[in-house]
Amino acid sequence: MTWLTATFYYLAAASVASALLAVTRKNPVHSMLWVLALFLHVAGIFLLLGAEFLAAVQVIVYAGAILIFYIFVVMLLDLPEEEARPRFGNQWPLAAAVGLCFATLAWLARAGVGVAPAATGVTAEAPFQGSLASLGMALFGPFALPFEVASLLLLAAIIGAVVLARRKAAAP
Amino acid sequence: MIVPAGAVLGLSAILFGIGVFGFLARRNIILMLISIEVMLNAVNLSLAGFSQHFEDLRGQVIALFVIAVAAAEVGVGLGLVIALNRNNPGAGVADLTKLKW
Repeated sequence: MTWLTATFYYLAAASVASALLAVTRKNPVHSMLWVLALFLHVAGIFLLLGAEFLAAVQVIVYAGAILIFYIFVVMLLDLPEEEARPRFGNQWPLAAAVGLCFATLAWLARAGVGVAPAATGVTAEAPFQGSLASLGMALFGPFALPFEVASLLLLAAIIGAVVLARRKAAAP
Repeated sequence: MIVPAGAVLGLSAILFGIGVFGFLARRNIILMLISIEVMLNAVNLSLAGFSQHFEDLRGQVIALFVIAVAAAEVGVGLGLVIALNRNNPGAGVADLTKLKW
């Protein structure tokens, strides 16, 4: 076991722990901070997997933008009664059972990876070189249309968020 | 190959299960949305793991699209939460039964 593998197991254990804490803490702000820890650890795992750009995007977009947005909304809404309320609904044992089922199914499906055709090398569309340049060539080459559709989706989301959160104009 | 693909997929399975539990069990809308983020991260992890295992860049490209969709979902979702909170302040998930027959 090299030290890189040991690093992976540390990151994996820390991300499972912070995910558990994030869904069980009572105070929403504490939950957000544990999710931040989860995002940073997942970014570390992306680095180990050779996905440097994904790690950067994870830190910038997830930890930087999305999480700040969540924290803004938590502070904007000011949930004073949140501390007094029970954090889980009555259905939480059922929810735990469903979560366990999903995890077990995905865990069992993992066994299929061993028999899948081992790294055949390279597909014509997107050869794996692990560099940012090849990722950019893939994004603007074979994936150019989905890339543009994603930008359209983000534009629609911006307009939708503005329309939803806008205060109703007073009737003239 | 530093990281065995099976270990990445196992971690992804565990994180996805935690996210499902959080989404179904929490009563606060914002924390339910955060649980969705945990699930999306689990899926991104498995995509990156497959990308490394099959030496194919398409996994990373799809993970990038997943992140873009997550950003869009957060914008619209939190806009909905704000609008909801304006119309009936202090409402929990259990109070929103207008659509119930």
